[in-house]
Amino acid sequence: MKGRTFFVLLAALVGALAIGALFILLAKSDPIRAYKVMLTGPFSSSFGFTETLVRTTPLLLTGLGIIISFRCGVLNIGGEGQILIGAIASAGVALAMPNLPGVVLFPLVLLAGALAGGLWGAIAGVLKARLNVNEILSTVMLNQIAAQLYLLLIRGILIDPQEVTYGTGVPQTALVTDVVWMTRLIPGSRLSTGFILAIVLAIAVYYLLMHTTIGYRLRAVGAGPQAARYAGINVPFYMALSMFLAGALAGLAGTVEVLGVHHRALEDISAGYGFSAIVAALFGRLHPIGIIPASMLFGALILGADMMQRAVSIPAAIVMVIQGFVILFVVASDVFIRRPELFGQWKSKWSRRSGEVS
Amino acid sequence: MTEGLEQGILIGMIATGIRLATPYLLAALGEMLSQRSGVFNLGLEGIMLMGAFSGFYITYVSQSPLLGLLAAIVTGGLMGMLMAFVSVTLQAEQGISGIGLSMLGWGLSGLFFRLYVDGIQSIAGLKAWKIPGLGDIPIIGPMFFSHHFIVYFAFLLVPLLWFVLFRTTWGLSVRAVGMTPQAVDTMGVSVSGLRYQCLILGGMLAGLAGATLTVANTHMFADNITAGRGFIAIALVYFGRWSPWGILAGSLLFSMADSFQLWVQVLGINFPYEMAVMLPYIVTIIALMISFGRVWPPAALGKPYERGVRG
Amino acid sequence: MKNLKKQILLLIAMLLTASLLLAGCGGDSKPAPAKTEALKAQSNKIKIALVLPSTVDDMAWAQSMYEAVKKIQTDSKGEIELAVSERMGKPVDAGAAIRQYATQGFDIIIAHGAQYQSVVKEIAPEFPKITFAYGTGFQTGPNIFAYDPQAQEGAYVMGILAAKMSKSKIVGIVGPVEAGDAIKYNKGFMQGVAAAGGDVKTRIAYTGSFNEIVKAGEIAKTHMDAGADFLTGSSQQAVGAIKAVAGKPGTYWLSTDMDQSKVSPDAVLASQVYNWEKVLGKILELRKKGTLGGQHLTLSFADGMLELKYNPKLEAKIPADVKAAVEKAKKDIAAGTLKIELK
Repeated sequence: MKGRTFFVLLAALVGALAIGALFILLAKSDPIRAYKVMLTGPFSSSFGFTETLVRTTPLLLTGLGIIISFRCGVLNIGGEGQILIGAIASAGVALAMPNLPGVVLFPLVLLAGALAGGLWGAIAGVLKARLNVNEILSTVMLNQIAAQLYLLLIRGILIDPQEVTYGTGVPQTALVTDVVWMTRLIPGSRLSTGFILAIVLAIAVYYLLMHTTIGYRLRAVGAGPQAARYAGINVPFYMALSMFLAGALAGLAGTVEVLGVHHRALEDISAGYGFSAIVAALFGRLHPIGIIPASMLFGALILGADMMQRAVSIPAAIVMVIQGFVILFVVASDVFIRRPELFGQWKSKWSRRSGEVS
Repeated sequence: MTEGLEQGILIGMIATGIRLATPYLLAALGEMLSQRSGVFNLGLEGIMLMGAFSGFYITYVSQSPLLGLLAAIVTGGLMGMLMAFVSVTLQAEQGISGIGLSMLGWGLSGLFFRLYVDGIQSIAGLKAWKIPGLGDIPIIGPMFFSHHFIVYFAFLLVPLLWFVLFRTTWGLSVRAVGMTPQAVDTMGVSVSGLRYQCLILGGMLAGLAGATLTVANTHMFADNITAGRGFIAIALVYFGRWSPWGILAGSLLFSMADSFQLWVQVLGINFPYEMAVMLPYIVTIIALMISFGRVWPPAALGKPYERGVRG
Repeated sequence: MKNLKKQILLLIAMLLTASLLLAGCGGDSKPAPAKTEALKAQSNKIKIALVLPSTVDDMAWAQSMYEAVKKIQTDSKGEIELAVSERMGKPVDAGAAIRQYATQGFDIIIAHGAQYQSVVKEIAPEFPKITFAYGTGFQTGPNIFAYDPQAQEGAYVMGILAAKMSKSKIVGIVGPVEAGDAIKYNKGFMQGVAAAGGDVKTRIAYTGSFNEIVKAGEIAKTHMDAGADFLTGSSQQAVGAIKAVAGKPGTYWLSTDMDQSKVSPDAVLASQVYNWEKVLGKILELRKKGTLGGQHLTLSFADGMLELKYNPKLEAKIPADVKAAVEKAKKDIAAGTLKIELK
């Protein structure tokens, strides 16, 4: 059994890379050298290792939120907007009270990020629970609204005053006071305590979902709202709660980007984490522990592909091509692990067909 | 004088709204077909990008916009088939496959553009075609009947798809396969076959939607030219509650609000323009909030069909 | 569930094995920095890395810089090595790129975006021998150059050009996001229009993004429907607007960042061009003299790093008196007698 799993995953990976190699050849570059960098880069140096975890952190945090909402039957694709709202709220609070001591300000900033992201997420949750507004529609729209709101704030009232003085007008806030910066775990890297926070929260979410009444009720709503209602569960409340929690976790992801990576809120602070986290969450089988390795793997894939672009100078578009193929192949290979008997069925069907032809 | 100007604004606003609505309408109608058959295709953005590129490229090479559109439809169909292969035959998780397909489409279109087109190029593109007679009616003519022909096609598709879905046996099977695939299977109709058909048709429409942006609207291609329109189109399917008329209403509402805000900006506003840019998104959410009625999503949406396993 | 966890662990294990194998098989896989150090000792090649927010063919900000670096590289006859990272619009990606280039022993790292200020300021002190350059910006460091195009200057003279030539007395701006260079550009343009007199109206609308090509086209069409016959706008989405302008004869576009007349030779009347070659030339020269940074480099008419280029195909359409007014404004700006207020 284990042997088959290994074989299938290996085959999927090799298949994806083989097709990707054709495109690298098309771009007149060397696929072997390219893949060498892509596969070894994220693991073979402290730079690669820490940067992988820098990507893992927001994926993990956002993905945990997506797990909670998906488990409750709410398809949250609003992570991107929730990250932005969390980032701007935490930066705003940190900038508003620069003179508070760190022990007070730091928790306050975290709380602000989580609360703002949570409330933003709860909008979609309440709309679904109370007014039957589909969450896919509302989260897609709310993402766009959040993006505009975020820009409005970082170019408007929260803009770095120096940008105005010098007339450069770059849309970004001033640096937040260094008492709230998350400590860098390794000097010379961007890996911060935010990563530890994410791991701790993964365990907390696991406990919440699997070992508390709230978690049980959240999952019961996801398994069947009708049955949950008959069991006396307040379905609208738990739907809204799931989106609040999802938003809060995504908001924390935005907060970690501000406090741990950039030390300010700036343009394009989320590198598509809202969407990548869906992939990570689903690959992790919507399990709060399963997503830890899944988001690490995805972080490594993102970073490795970027390093490959630099190493062999190929168009950046190939990075997306290879990521797309890897996702498609790995997700498609799952069936051979889950239902090995299918393979046999197809084989016999195929041989029967070719038999008829000949 | 002012009257003439106001009239001009109204005509411009409505005409722009209709032009903006067309790609959303096409892509959302395609997605509606996929979802009606039970497959949630999150890869719409990637399909649109591939359609946008192939439509542009073939027009660029052949100088014929019609060939370009045809190429976009074929490419879209192939992308739809790929999605079907992964999510129907291989029963893969649809959310993941969709995001994978989106990335693939973005990457491939960007790569081919880099490799086979030397930077930003012009193409002849599709010209507006005023419908003889109708297009000459004052006010109404320039609003509704002076567009390129994809616009007319997209709007005609609405009653056509409604008829196909609700008045033909094929449409009945499609709806059934999205609700109770077991029942369809028992009747001896192939579940996979129907889902393949719907995904391929849906992909063709999404490909055409992408090509509308390049071949008809902008006459050019650039990296990521769809800029998230695929995701808006998916949202509009939910707005329209899987009905062609509802999707028409959603696309028009969204695009008219967008056109309105463009005009308001151009004619001068004195509040942050972000408020204007947000308008269509807010209007769409509010419209759905105040519209009543039950929603019946396809019950088997998102669930791969496994024979003998009850979905 | 367990099964899946196992799968993912397996995948990680596989990747690690694969990476070990790959690392093992190639004999030349010594740590990269050491290798480059060794190489550098042998030759005096200058290694330049370029980090771009969009793509090298965006026909705007990124392409203008890429072409300049490319040209310098070609002219150097093998003295300059060049590496490029595209689509680094997200600061987190750019941060990784810049740090990696720094550890690989590049001499000059050009982070071509205003949003890279934070990351450059953070990394530069760790690599005091490397020259960093970024822009638009003003904050420098011992080894950081900040370049800062005075977009308002070219915009001002093109505002005069548009206002004096417009027949409908309406000119339109297609804006991306009201920030950074777009503010400078739009403010300069509006002041130019106002200075030209003749009661010409400037209308402005934003797409709310830097890459909404389709929407930029729609805004341009809306401007034209509302009567504008001269249009302008900044950022890479402008190409969409140029195409829309090209669809209506008798309407013209004024470009910024680079000469965009190639996009539509019949629509682009003039362009404000950033002469990155001169900027880079200056950085290279200063570096040779031992100055690794610390300067705020403005691109202006005065220092010749900002240029106004007419489209040769359409230049004849500009009346002589208009051209004289434009050239006079240019001269006055360069001489410092004409100041453009940005507040």
